[in-house]
Amino acid sequence: MAAGPFNATMILAILPQIGLLALGVLVSILDLLWKENQKRNLGWLTASGLALIMVLAGVFTAPAAQPVLVFGGMLRHDWLSFVFQMIFLFGAALTALFAMDSEPLSRKGEAYMLLVAATLGMTLMASAADLIMLFLAIEMTSIPLYILAGFIVGDNKSTESGFKYLLFGATTSAVMLYGFSLLYGFAGTTQIYQLAGILQQGQFSTFTLIAVLMLVLVGFSFKVSAVPFHFWAPDVYEGSPTPIAGFLSTASKAAGFAVLMRFLLVVFPMTEHYWIPLLAVISTATMIVGNTLALAQKNVKRLLAYSSIAQAGYMLIGVASVSPLGITASVFYLTAYLVTNLAAFGVVTIVGRSTGSDELSAYAGLSRRAPGLAMVFLVALLSLGGIPPFGGFVGKILVFAAAINSNLIWLAVLGILNSIIALYYYLMVLKVVYLYRSEDENRPLAIPRSWAIAMGLCVVGILLLGTVFGPWYQWSVTAASSLF
Amino acid sequence: MLLEYLPILILMILALVLSILVIVLGTIFGPHRPTPRKGLPYESGMTPFGPGTRRVSVRYYLVAVLFILFDVEVVFFLPWAVVFRKLGVFGLIEMLVFIGILLVGYVYAWKKGALEWE
Repeated sequence: MAAGPFNATMILAILPQIGLLALGVLVSILDLLWKENQKRNLGWLTASGLALIMVLAGVFTAPAAQPVLVFGGMLRHDWLSFVFQMIFLFGAALTALFAMDSEPLSRKGEAYMLLVAATLGMTLMASAADLIMLFLAIEMTSIPLYILAGFIVGDNKSTESGFKYLLFGATTSAVMLYGFSLLYGFAGTTQIYQLAGILQQGQFSTFTLIAVLMLVLVGFSFKVSAVPFHFWAPDVYEGSPTPIAGFLSTASKAAGFAVLMRFLLVVFPMTEHYWIPLLAVISTATMIVGNTLALAQKNVKRLLAYSSIAQAGYMLIGVASVSPLGITASVFYLTAYLVTNLAAFGVVTIVGRSTGSDELSAYAGLSRRAPGLAMVFLVALLSLGGIPPFGGFVGKILVFAAAINSNLIWLAVLGILNSIIALYYYLMVLKVVYLYRSEDENRPLAIPRSWAIAMGLCVVGILLLGTVFGPWYQWSVTAASSLF
Repeated sequence: MLLEYLPILILMILALVLSILVIVLGTIFGPHRPTPRKGLPYESGMTPFGPGTRRVSVRYYLVAVLFILFDVEVVFFLPWAVVFRKLGVFGLIEMLVFIGILLVGYVYAWKKGALEWE
């Protein structure tokens, strides 16, 4: 790989990363300088900083039609990475807003700094084009998230959550790294875009390649919480601070999908016939396990955790379709899922703060205590269930269409059946919210301005993605085209 | 392809066989006269003191983390210094950025009281 001279394109390509680094440094300096009662403003600073980075990146970083490898082949500057970077930045900005008034996070500068650091790792994950860069990016994302999951000091559940996440993450990383090392051993290069060619020329048995693929898949499946690497999700979401759980279930999952798509399509196109059924089976298992276990949940955070496992299954359908439409569908689905799930976790944050409980019974009479909030929850849950005119509906249509186009009709049918099961438990929650009465009905819930802004953004996002989906769809198409 | 790794396999088997052999031969032919002193757990040649599972202060952990952080920083200086002339001004600026970021971390750790023992 020609390293090429250093030039301005390279700097522009990593503009979001530079911005994130500067923001992280700024937050940690201000954390030292500001007094305790000012520190809540770090949330505003982080959110507006992330928004500013989005604008700057949108103006200066938008990739050319022809993808380029920068920094000696370490990063690939293409539309897929760009669209995903925007998704992460948006998710992180909303999470910063939600963190501002969430008790364990609001006055801790470290929380915002770690959030920015994790986002930096994700942006690198989306554009990594080298095994070493990829591994470093995954670790850079995971380690701050381990700490954030266990952020509530002195709370056993949070500590358990952080520790469990760490153990699962470290083990799956190790297995994935073993797969990477075998790939390097076979091909003699760590550059992802050179690997495919060398693997195709060399006389490697399909069996060996599939074995390596499965080792690598372990790490990615953990990130997207696909069955059978989903066990951590409910416990980690339940114990960690709610805004962080929302971030884990959306941005972190999206990062996993970005890596999964690029890796499967670029490194292993020659063994497609073997891993498509594998991926289809994983997707089916993920949907069924997530949805059926969600049916029995009494804790809303755990219910959303199982629902997010099931959602990963739908997105995997798009990846398993291995067509431009399939990847487009997955990217679109991820975008819709991001705004939807962040809104749902936002509602859980607010209710959790006011009632001190995440149990389903705490949601009784919510529609009378806070009609607006109940409405946001309604929009979010119906969008998760795939009801028009919300974003989730368009996402589901695209995913199922992609499966049918690629002759995976059985997968589409299973997906549709699963959506019906999912709708049952989403409506169960809404039943409690709208129909059940409680004694606290006359006490309205307080909703700080930061949360109102974040929820407003989410709802607008859900509605836009469900109605005026043209531009977002076009972006997803462009993103998908950079893989084929 | 896989055959190229045969020497490693042979080495592993040899290591396994040899270590088992040495222990087995030692127990069969060697004299076995234990004394209380011989039976003590080995601790750098000193007489062991205190229980083996006592608690270690969590503060050591913080010191260890800081040590690794700044130790790695120094490790990066070495290759940089070797090719310093070739890299020119670009290398200098790059390293200043690197040190600058770590310096912020250092000040942060200092101000937050990570360097105070009490």
